[in-house]
Amino acid sequence: MSAEVAQARAAGPGGARGWSDAVRLALRFVILLLAIGVAVQTFIVVEARPQDLITGVHGMADLIWRAIPPDFSKLSAAAWPTLQTIDIALFGTFVGIILALPLALLAAANMTPSRLAYYAARAVIGFTRAVPDLVWALLFVTAVGLGPFPGGLALGVHSVGMLGRLFAETIEQMDMAPIQALQLTGARRIQVFSHGIIPGILPALLGISLYRLDENIRSSLVLGFVGAGGIGFQLLTAMNLFQYQEVSLLLIIIFVIVLGAERVSAALRERLS
Amino acid sequence: MLRVCALSLRYPNGKLALIDFALEVEPGELVVVLGGNGSGKSTLLRCITRTLKPSAGEVWLGATNLCTLEGEKLRRARLELAMVWQQASLIRRSSVLSNVASGALGRYSTFRTVCRGLPAAELDTARHHLADVGLAALAEQRAGTLSGGQAQRVAIARALAQHPRVLLADEPVASLDPEASEEIMRLLQRLARSEQLAVLCVLHQIELAYTYADRVVGIRDGRIAFNLPRSEVSRDAVRRLYISEAA
Repeated sequence: MSAEVAQARAAGPGGARGWSDAVRLALRFVILLLAIGVAVQTFIVVEARPQDLITGVHGMADLIWRAIPPDFSKLSAAAWPTLQTIDIALFGTFVGIILALPLALLAAANMTPSRLAYYAARAVIGFTRAVPDLVWALLFVTAVGLGPFPGGLALGVHSVGMLGRLFAETIEQMDMAPIQALQLTGARRIQVFSHGIIPGILPALLGISLYRLDENIRSSLVLGFVGAGGIGFQLLTAMNLFQYQEVSLLLIIIFVIVLGAERVSAALRERLS
Repeated sequence: MLRVCALSLRYPNGKLALIDFALEVEPGELVVVLGGNGSGKSTLLRCITRTLKPSAGEVWLGATNLCTLEGEKLRRARLELAMVWQQASLIRRSSVLSNVASGALGRYSTFRTVCRGLPAAELDTARHHLADVGLAALAEQRAGTLSGGQAQRVAIARALAQHPRVLLADEPVASLDPEASEEIMRLLQRLARSEQLAVLCVLHQIELAYTYADRVVGIRDGRIAFNLPRSEVSRDAVRRLYISEAA
C-alpha cells in the first residue's frame, strides 16, 4: 500500500483533507456567483434592451440603404481632409517624440540626474497621459481656434505621456555596462546619450514611435468631432446634413487609412526587430 | 606614472574594503593584482577611477591627485585613465569602428560630436588601433556579432582611442577560453611596451600572472600581501592569498 493511499484512508471522509476540499468547493461556488452578479449588473447599468435592437434594425437598414452607393464624386473634396488627418497624426507623433525623449531621460531611474527631476518628469508624463486626447483637443480648440492645429497639439501632448513612459521603461531596461564604460572614457552626459544610449535602444524607440503613430492616426479621426479638423470633422458635417452617401465614402477612406497605417507600422516594426 | 598612496575605503556599513594600500605602476610596466573573491581587487580599481571615493589616501596620475578632483576636472583627468572590464561592454548595435572611436569622445566638445560626429582623422586613428589589436578587417561589422575574445580586443582598442597613460583591466579574461585569454594578455603586454602604457590588471588566473606580469601584487582582506617582481613571487605566497579567503 502506498504512503499516499494510507494517508488518505487515515484522514477519512470527515478528516482535515475533506474539510479543505469542501471549503475550496464552496469558494469556487462563491466566485462563480460573484462573476454572474457582475455580468448581470452590467446589463442593468448600461440599460441593455436587446429587444430594441431587434425592433430598430429596420432603421439601421434604412440608413445603410440610403448610404449606398458611396458618393465617389466627393472623393477629390475628401483628399485635403484626409491629408490633414494623416498630418495631424504625424505632427502629434513628432511633437510627442521630441518632448518625450528628454523627459524619458529624466524619468528613467538609471539615468536621472536627481530624485527631484525624476519625480517631476514622472508627474508630467503621468498627467499628460491621464488627460484624454479629446479633452486636450477641446482645450487647444479653445486656445487656438478650430482646425487641424489644435488636433496636432492635442495628440502631441497626449503622446508625450504615452511615449515618455514607454521610452523611460526602455531606458531602464537597457544594459548599463556599455554606458558606464563610455562614461569612464570621459565622455560627457550628452555624448553618452547620443553615442551610447540612442544607438543601443534606437530600434525599440522607433518601434514604440511607429506604434504610437498608428494609434494617433485612429485618434486624429475622432478629434475632428470636436472641431480639430481632418476627415472626422467632415464626417460629422456630412452626418449632420444627412449626406449618408458622402458618409459611406468617408467611412471607406477611414477604413483604408486605418488599415494602411496599421500594415505599414507593423511591417516597419517587423523590419526593425 | 600611477601611484596609489595609503588608500583606504570604508563602506557605509563600516566594513573596511581597502586598508592603507600603496602601489606604483611605471610606463611600459604590466602589474597584475591577484587575490581571492572579496579581497578588494575590483574596489581598488574603482577607487583609482574614482567611481568610488576613497575614505583616505591619494591616487596620483602623473602630477595630478585624482582624489582631490570633482566634476569637470575629474572628467578631464579620467581621459588619461582607460578601463577594460570583465565584459567588453560594447554598444552591440553600433559598428566595431564606431565603438572604438567612442573612446575619443571625451576629447571633443559635445556640440562637435553630436552635430558633426568625430573628425575623419579620429576615425582613421580608430582604424589604426583596430589594426593594432588585429581586427582591422572587422571595422564595419556590428559589435554584437563578435566573439568574446574579439569583443575584448575591441574594448582594448577603444581604451587606446582615449590616448591614455594608464590602462586598468578588471578581470579582462574572466569570460574567455584559455587561448583567447593568452591572446588578450599578450596584447596587454605588447601595448604596455609599445605604447609605454602603465597597465594594472586584476586577474584570477595565476599562471597568466606568472607568464605575463612584470610585477605581481597580492591582496588579502584589503591589505597588500606582497608586491614583488614576477620571478620572486613564490607559489606558496600566492596560495596563501586564497587559503585565507577559504578560512
